Amino acid sequence: MAENARFEELVLPHLDAAYNLARWLARNSQDADDVVQDACVRALKYLGSVRGADAKAWFLTIVRHAFYDWCKRNRPAEEVADDDAIDDRIADPAAVDPEQAALRSAQARVLDDAVAQLPLAFREVLILRELEDLSYKEIARIADIPIGTVMSRLARARGLLQRSPLLQEMRGGRAEVNHELH
Amino acid sequence: MNCTEAATRLNAYADGEIGTLQRLPIEQHLRGCPACARMHRELLVLRARVRGEVQYFKAPSHLHARVRALAAQASVRERENDSAPVGPRGAPGRWGWLAGGVLADRWRWVAQGALAGCAATVVAWVVGGAALDWNAGRDVVAQAVAAHAQATLNGRLIEVASSDQHTVKPWLSAHLDYSPPVQDFANEGFPLLGGRVASMRGERVAVLVYGYRQHTIDVYVWPTAPAIAAGMRTVRGFHVEGASGAGMQWLAVSDVSPDVLTKFVQKLARVDLPQSDALP
Repeated sequence: MAENARFEELVLPHLDAAYNLARWLARNSQDADDVVQDACVRALKYLGSVRGADAKAWFLTIVRHAFYDWCKRNRPAEEVADDDAIDDRIADPAAVDPEQAALRSAQARVLDDAVAQLPLAFREVLILRELEDLSYKEIARIADIPIGTVMSRLARARGLLQRSPLLQEMRGGRAEVNHELH
Repeated sequence: MNCTEAATRLNAYADGEIGTLQRLPIEQHLRGCPACARMHRELLVLRARVRGEVQYFKAPSHLHARVRALAAQASVRERENDSAPVGPRGAPGRWGWLAGGVLADRWRWVAQGALAGCAATVVAWVVGGAALDWNAGRDVVAQAVAAHAQATLNGRLIEVASSDQHTVKPWLSAHLDYSPPVQDFANEGFPLLGGRVASMRGERVAVLVYGYRQHTIDVYVWPTAPAIAAGMRTVRGFHVEGASGAGMQWLAVSDVSPDVLTKFVQKLARVDLPQSDALP
């Protein structure tokens, strides 16, 4: 009972954030469902170790680990190959409110595709930063990497998006942009 | 600062993750270097597009239901047999592999390490000055967060859905014995989504609901209340910020970043004041 109440207080408010992260990592809704459910089972088991203020980061950490464990079993290639792979998203009408989908512009869907094609390690920091509005420090904790790595992965994620052929129309002129710096 | 140095800091700069002192040299460089300034502009455009256009996937209702069922099951099982492990042990097939506790053990280890740090922060904060106000307003804060979480879970965040302040304000006035200031801030990125009435400390309180990117912000507004001290708190992972102004007490609860929430509450608390009265 108490555990149930604690779960409702600490974990359920962050279910959208959990699903969004899982959905962007797994790139389809069925697998995201499984990952989030697994994460909830784990969260239930270890509720005692979390404090209220940490709940979101704690739960997203669990979601992320649940995803990587799921990945090892179901898509062993993804982690290793750091996916230059083809977009393997399954179009799943159940995942998307049809009205919402209709309202989304073709342009926005192009951007979704470009984000979905980012290598996993870059995709996760980008989603945590831009969709969950988390600080570098929080992302570092969730992804278990140094803050400097958060920064460089974000930079690489954004660089890949800017160079993505899907988004070429985004850059004003194309010619003199090659101001490459290292 | 040269271009190479500027380039390595540009992302953190655009993310607002660079301290005031370290910002100056970057800003100077950007003023003098058109190429870097252009990269910076492109970065800002990209950020705005990603934040505005990339889809945010909300948990579908069947998942909500399944997760609630899991929690209910777990607590039943716990009562039945204290020593039985919570979770997948009894479930067939699909959940069999979930039992691994490596992750959570590791988190527990991290959490215990982090607890000391968190506790220290809280102590420093309370000693830092807001102790009295914090205590006076604490049950209000806790109630506001609980009400916010509850409304979110029940999908009853908004009882009157409208971006029109002239719809929301009369609705709230009709349900309350006061009339809260209501203003839309869509042009500043905080569209008014609607409102509802919450019960706090036995009183009916107006709640204005604003959007900010993918997030919602609950704003409790009422004329009589223990003064809510300004100052960010984090309760159950939600940020809470209070302010007084325009004859009202304001308390905002949200998961947007703390600096955004603070600025927004301060903006709200002065909605009725003329521009010239605005603090810098």
